[in-house]
Amino acid sequence: MPKTKRELTKKLQDLEQKALRGDERAIAKQHSGGKLTARERIEKLLDPGTFIEEFMLAETASTDFGMASRKRPTDGVIAGYGKINGRTVYLFAQDFTVIAGTVGSAHAEKIAYVIDSARKIGVPVIGLYDSAGARIQEGLDVTKSIGKIFFQNAITSGTVPQISAIMGPCIGVAAYSPALTDFIVMVKGTSQMFITGPSVIKEVTGEDVSMEDLGGSKVHSEVSGVADLVAANDEECLRQIRTLMDYMPANATQTPPRLPGSDDPNRLIEDMDAVVPEDTKKPYDIRLVIRRIADNGEFLEIKPRWARNVVIGFARLDGRSVGFVANQPMFLAGSLDVDCSDKAARFIRFCDAFNIPIITFVDVPGYLPGTKQERGGIIRHGAKMLYAYSEATVPKITVYLRKGYGGAKQAMCTREMGADQLYVWPAVELAVMGAAGAVEVLYKKEIEQAANPDEMRKEKLEEFSERFSGPFEAVAKQYAHAAIRPEETRVRLIRALEILESKREERPRKKHGIMPV
Amino acid sequence: MTLVTAPMVGKVLSVAVNVGDRVEEDDTVVVIEAMKMEVPIVAPASGVIKEIKAAPGQMVESEAVLAVIE
Repeated sequence: MPKTKRELTKKLQDLEQKALRGDERAIAKQHSGGKLTARERIEKLLDPGTFIEEFMLAETASTDFGMASRKRPTDGVIAGYGKINGRTVYLFAQDFTVIAGTVGSAHAEKIAYVIDSARKIGVPVIGLYDSAGARIQEGLDVTKSIGKIFFQNAITSGTVPQISAIMGPCIGVAAYSPALTDFIVMVKGTSQMFITGPSVIKEVTGEDVSMEDLGGSKVHSEVSGVADLVAANDEECLRQIRTLMDYMPANATQTPPRLPGSDDPNRLIEDMDAVVPEDTKKPYDIRLVIRRIADNGEFLEIKPRWARNVVIGFARLDGRSVGFVANQPMFLAGSLDVDCSDKAARFIRFCDAFNIPIITFVDVPGYLPGTKQERGGIIRHGAKMLYAYSEATVPKITVYLRKGYGGAKQAMCTREMGADQLYVWPAVELAVMGAAGAVEVLYKKEIEQAANPDEMRKEKLEEFSERFSGPFEAVAKQYAHAAIRPEETRVRLIRALEILESKREERPRKKHGIMPV
Repeated sequence: MTLVTAPMVGKVLSVAVNVGDRVEEDDTVVVIEAMKMEVPIVAPASGVIKEIKAAPGQMVESEAVLAVIE
């Protein structure tokens, strides 16, 4: 006897309710671990009432190893779309309360679908990762399906923003999915990422290490450079994603949303001069400069605790979203090295892909010397910054604050690297190399043959410093568009951004460059 | 146990702490001179200074241990 309309509707409703209700015990366990459930996370992430779920009742087709009785609707991941601050996003949230969020074929298909759809309709995709890993019961099918996710992440790269939140374990080869996305936010204490886990490590090397020590938020935000942001808990993580999204457009064909201005575009920064010490031996925190210039002092720093000798992050100038790249004199004397080159280059390329203007603040003494850097491939890594800046066709504005020595200047976006506007402050020191080194080369004979070599050296040092102090050569030779006062930096940047809004620039047609990696 | 290490070759200018002092993450522990600048070396984590292995005037190698925090 075929079922009546009423019976069918009731059966469907029951299935949906069951899926939405979830497993009480598993939910309690998730909460006791200090974590929200996947559905709770989606609710907090999105604007209220905007979530539409897809493939709610999808299940695994696998029947091996007891899967027939273990299958559950959603197959451990929730997929769908909703809004963040009024703009559509696609998302998936792995559900640790359903088959421990393990990745099976159906599960992986849903994730691949979400990324594919986001790209197709041109909206950002957000992934909330929280999974015990690959579902071993489903064998090779899982490896295949995870591969589909990687492919989608990779081909989608640069079309729409892809954000990953690690809100639990994201382990084994599955960790490569967030690695292919644009930003990774980890939750402190409850999230881990690693390729090979503690038990295998113990077996192979005898080493004892906990999941947290191996791949927790501290490792990835301070040592490996994998994580971009760390949140204290699930709620903060989701808030950070909402904030991050506002700096970006929905896709690469758009510019970021411009917020209504709430900070005077003509604001002069009276104490700017006081922030940067006159004595070039003294360090200072470049973020103090950035915050004074940015609208309302708001600056979302990315990777704040890795490669700290360069500072990157998002801010607004007269409501326009911008990306900052700046030397940080407080760390490593603000010199450039292997890790900071990676950090800066990746950020520059993200900004360029999504039409976000780049502002570069320069106070650089050079590259960090030493065998460690050379053997570490500073040649390979440093080249990334040159490549990224040159490739970028977004508005690029550079300001020299204090020091600018040698070739390191090129890595900080000179006019040759495509800076559309370059300004210098009055008290800059710009030279091909530091006075001490230069003098040894240029006046070698004079010093050697002098009656008092030390006196001669000192004299030449004074002459050299005198000549290259200040903005005079830079403005005479059109290296800079203008010398500006520190207090007017914000005003000048905003005026430049205004005219550069319509900037259009082409690069030679090619399939793609071979970026140094 | 956390080690405070020199990130680059330099000369120790000053030591900002004493054994037994409590430090917070990012507090300056030692200042070295490198690349013609004063380079503050900060605590990677909070704790108590257990040992100081640097003295003003001393030349240090990259990765040299400057202090130990418990």
